[in-house]
Amino acid sequence: MANTSTTDVDLVGSEMTLNVARVALFAALMGAFAYVSFPNPLVPSVPVTLQVLGVFLAAIFLGPVWGGAAMVVYLLAGALGVPVFSSGSAGLGSFFGATGGYLVSYPFAAFLVGAVIHGGFEPDAPKSVSVGRLIVGMALAVPVVYAFGIPVYWYYLDVTWTTAIVNAGLLFLPAEAVKIAAAVGIVHSDRLNTA
Amino acid sequence: MLSYEPGDSLAHRLDPRSKLAVQIGFVAVAFAYTTPRGLAVLTAVTVGMLAVAATPPWTALAELKYVLPLLAAAPAVEALTLGSPWVVVADAVAPALAAYRILLVLAVSAAYVRTTPVRESRAVVQRHVPGRTGQFLGMSVAFVFRFLPVLQADLARIRDAQRARLGTERPVHERIASVLLSALDGAFDRSERFADALQARCFAWNPTLPALRFTWLDGPALVVAGGFLLAAVVTVV
Amino acid sequence: MIRTEGLVHRYGETTALDGVSLTVDDGEFLVLAGANGSGKTTLVRHFNGLLEPDDGEVFVNGRPVDEDLVAARTAVGMVFQNPRDCFVAATVGADVAFGPENLGLSRSDIDERVETALSAVDMADRADERLDRLSGGEQARVAIAGALAMNPDHLVLDEPFAGLDWPARRAVLEHLDSLSAAGTSIVVVTHDLRDVLGRADRVVALSSGTVALDADPETARDRLAQFDVRPC
Repeated sequence: MANTSTTDVDLVGSEMTLNVARVALFAALMGAFAYVSFPNPLVPSVPVTLQVLGVFLAAIFLGPVWGGAAMVVYLLAGALGVPVFSSGSAGLGSFFGATGGYLVSYPFAAFLVGAVIHGGFEPDAPKSVSVGRLIVGMALAVPVVYAFGIPVYWYYLDVTWTTAIVNAGLLFLPAEAVKIAAAVGIVHSDRLNTA
Repeated sequence: MLSYEPGDSLAHRLDPRSKLAVQIGFVAVAFAYTTPRGLAVLTAVTVGMLAVAATPPWTALAELKYVLPLLAAAPAVEALTLGSPWVVVADAVAPALAAYRILLVLAVSAAYVRTTPVRESRAVVQRHVPGRTGQFLGMSVAFVFRFLPVLQADLARIRDAQRARLGTERPVHERIASVLLSALDGAFDRSERFADALQARCFAWNPTLPALRFTWLDGPALVVAGGFLLAAVVTVV
Repeated sequence: MIRTEGLVHRYGETTALDGVSLTVDDGEFLVLAGANGSGKTTLVRHFNGLLEPDDGEVFVNGRPVDEDLVAARTAVGMVFQNPRDCFVAATVGADVAFGPENLGLSRSDIDERVETALSAVDMADRADERLDRLSGGEQARVAIAGALAMNPDHLVLDEPFAGLDWPARRAVLEHLDSLSAAGTSIVVVTHDLRDVLGRADRVVALSSGTVALDADPETARDRLAQFDVRPC
């Protein structure tokens, strides 16, 4: 017989447990994406990480609420020392660095993408969402990410607006198109039978 | 990869909350005193903090090498001008100072990461963020820490296999989708098995948390943090 | 004691369990055999309330499982397939502590339970090691320790030997022997009876969601082949 008083244990319900597991998994997937980069189509010498694709996928598979929560957990894990930011960095300092603005934009972007794609707070099966809707949802998130990223780059690095817009924005736009195409490919692949 | 290194330095023995306070204070002073003289003083302070954390400056720099090109790009681009004289060094001074300030802030947070186990950091969240939200965030952070190496290994393995099989002929978005599909498929199964394992061990909202205790050592650390904030407020006013 | 009565479980249209009545006695070493898809994993997931029955009832130590899930989950320790996917922490000691922490025990009680559980699988001096750096056999042992830290009366292991080489299998088997000798009842779920048949007090085979065989190991040995189970 159990030798503990069991009445005081406040169990996490089974649905919530699955949500926690998925949120942690997508946040960790974001962290793993931060190590994977591909050449920027415009400037092949500057690699682009897959993080924004992680934002899209979390929103598509978990919906706006849990997708947004996954991004909050991702940022918190990074701030507290789990090496999940680009190229394995971590720490509170990353938020005050050149790319701190992008980081902060992720929860907002994930919520927006999720809400547009699923047309509300409850996620539908990703495959049931049309390609057009997927593209519109993700395309709307791109200005959100840059609306945080460019001003922060401008402010923290004390450069002119032109430099900030070119360095932190325009150079990366084609790469975002690649990520959107990849996300559509993933959702509508025959190989994905989960969710 | 920047991560916790077990050790017995002064910084290792501090409560994570004092270390977080020192970091926040440092960020504030670094932004308040972004002048050559201010940054010179802050460089000495940073070296001192790294010493307390038993982290040699070159180790901290090595951890941060990936940000160096990014930080160097800002002053370099700023110095360029369209037309004669093409390069104006004076334009690059402010961005260069700003970039250096970011480097110092990152070095200080590297000292935190290297001296604080994730377990302690998430205990701070569970203790000080109220109710189930704090519990949710704290546990999730712990699980992220646990999943990360597994997922990285998955991605690396899948990518190597793809390289060997497919070469680089297909368009980049198709290659990305293909790598991620394999990773995602595994990830969903894994999250379900993981949820079962959590429940089997009575996953609860109210577990016993790792102990956190301020000691006399935290006194000086909190004074330093307070000093930083005060110094920052003084310049702004 | 674990007891199911007329247990039915359906996944959509498929019936995974079709009226299973079974008792696991205290201190018993029971082998639950059956081919893939025979319902064995589904059955044990009812022992600690991970699944809800579509019909029938499950009792642990005389109480309905759904009446007190915490009591059922502490009394029935469960070790899953692929321990690698089931660890909750990055290091050995932190993982084993997870169960006792959830029970709200004091820090000193938790430390004591972790030490006892790790000693039971010969891992007492490895508490600070990272789980992803352990071998498959060592991971399997830590997973058992994680369940033992709940102080269970019954230990259920789902395919505990999958992917283990012989020395690792033998180490796990020896630990099961000593737990069994100490009075913990043990349920091993497997489709491969090598090494476990000789240890079992009783063998139950499932086929298409029903109990097809419930016998002592000697009788079972001759009849198992018809259920696609590898007898030796």
